[in-house]
Amino acid sequence: MDWKKFFIAFVAAFGFLFLFGFIWYGMLMHGAHQEVPTLLRSKPDFPWLIFGHIVMAFFLTLLCAKFVPAGGAGGCAKLGILVALIYAGADLITFAVQPLTTKILCGWIVGDLVQFAIAGAIIGAIYKSSSPVAR
Amino acid sequence: MKRFIFAFTAAFIFIFLWGWFYNGVLLKDVFSEVQSLFRPREEMMGLFHWIVIGQAGLALAFVMIYASGFAGGGIAAGVRLGIMLEILAVGARCAIYATQPFPAKFLVLISVGASSR
Repeated sequence: MDWKKFFIAFVAAFGFLFLFGFIWYGMLMHGAHQEVPTLLRSKPDFPWLIFGHIVMAFFLTLLCAKFVPAGGAGGCAKLGILVALIYAGADLITFAVQPLTTKILCGWIVGDLVQFAIAGAIIGAIYKSSSPVAR
Repeated sequence: MKRFIFAFTAAFIFIFLWGWFYNGVLLKDVFSEVQSLFRPREEMMGLFHWIVIGQAGLALAFVMIYASGFAGGGIAAGVRLGIMLEILAVGARCAIYATQPFPAKFLVLISVGASSR
């Protein structure tokens, strides 16, 4: 594994995941989230939010680096979409058990798909650009 | 394709049964401590099909990831993929903890159950 490229891809993925999450979930979906104020903290616990995004970025990068034999932005974006579909399944289950609105559910699913597809593409573009297939 | 369908069906049945046993039976008391964050039981039952669809989608995506890059590795590769995806999900749960008023104990127990799955 090319650790230098891995680290750059991980940092780029973290930066994107966090920024996209802030814009999509924190700003664009702010109104929708206000419809269920009892389900949310009045202010996010930022250390945990940052730590969670670091973990997600690291393991998404690891997945892309190890298990996309074809490599490149396209292959990793596809893997990102598949990972997002796992999250979408979890979102549907959350919707069934927590009093979320359908607007929030749809926003979360679309957000997951866009976020992980682009994060995967970024990782693939950085990590796989000239490195050999890693298994 | 036949093996894919068989693997998906097996994964879905296991995820469904484990989810029911761990979350519905073992963690029943823990869930009741944070009942205010969940739908009432009757309402939840009315939306039960979304749980089934969500678990089927989860199983399908898992098997698709396995088939696209792990299939040669057998059981060990499947376990490795499961662990990596679960750690990814733990990251998402940290974000949930940061934004929703769940007690830490609740999310730790949920993560333990999902890791076993």
